[in-house]
Amino acid sequence: MNGNREKGMGDMVEVRLFATFREGRGKVCYLDAAKLVKASDVLEVLRIPQEEVAIYLINGRHSSMEDRVLDGDVLAVFPPVGGG
Amino acid sequence: MTDRYERQRALAQIGEEGQRRLAKKQVAVIGAGGLGSPVLTYLAQAGVGTLRLVEFDTVGITNLNRQFLYTEKDVGRKKSAAAREKLALLNSEILVEVRDAELTKENAEELIGDADVVVSCLDCISARLIVDEVCIRKKIPVVEGGVSGFFGFVLCVGGDGPCLECLGYDAAMDQKEIPVLGAVAGVIGSLQAAECLKILLGAGEPLYGRLLQYDGISGTFDEIEVKKNEACRLHRRAEAGKEK
Ligand SMILES: [Zn+2]
Repeated sequence: MNGNREKGMGDMVEVRLFATFREGRGKVCYLDAAKLVKASDVLEVLRIPQEEVAIYLINGRHSSMEDRVLDGDVLAVFPPVGGG
Repeated sequence: MTDRYERQRALAQIGEEGQRRLAKKQVAVIGAGGLGSPVLTYLAQAGVGTLRLVEFDTVGITNLNRQFLYTEKDVGRKKSAAAREKLALLNSEILVEVRDAELTKENAEELIGDADVVVSCLDCISARLIVDEVCIRKKIPVVEGGVSGFFGFVLCVGGDGPCLECLGYDAAMDQKEIPVLGAVAGVIGSLQAAECLKILLGAGEPLYGRLLQYDGISGTFDEIEVKKNEACRLHRRAEAGKEK
């Protein structure tokens, strides 16, 4: 469905999930960028409650829930892992 | 020379000089629990000259699934005293200083002192953020590590790399009684010890700006490139008070 997509670019957003967020969702999800506006939309699609997110990165940088999500972005979402 | 360090001194990254270097170094380990057990054990065995252990807690029976510095006989004792005893049995050539105190904003700077590296083995995020801030201000590298269930991470904080607040961690995220598999704390604590030794030796590539994430369920590691957040308040406060 994505034949002319170049490496790392295209009309998809790559969402890398970590720790417990992988349960039932897998390690990586590809979402249609056209259906997403901001960072919080991604969580809604993946049914991840905002309050459970500790780290939300867009291309390696901290992102707020209001930040724009664009074609080719690589997102990474983590729950807190703070035990010792 | 045949001694306890023979097998590591044979490494190109260590040698006679590196071993002498380790003996002159001081590391502060904040927290002597599931992560602190492997960190303190491996740093002691590697011959780090001074280990400063900061821990206020008492050994409880529920610690014994992961905190291998302690035995059933230690239940009810101060962790600081029990850990010092165990570490002295492992290596009598090093100095183990214990500080029986809970790290707070007020005492963090004094507890960290003049450490060459700080290894953060705490069980709460609020205290981790205090450690990061003091250390960025004092230009002391921090080896962060955290665990939860089958998962864990390691990240070195310092230089141009991000701190935990840069990534989005917040003191409000503190959780109580986080479930942890002992072996997972062992994996992460061992990685923290290795990162700490690399920094002390000036060897290899410490995990600055690279978040190493362990997934014990799938048996995989991921390395995520992470960047400093220019709007990070912790970094701003620390930079403003930075020692020249
Ligand atoms: Zn920061």
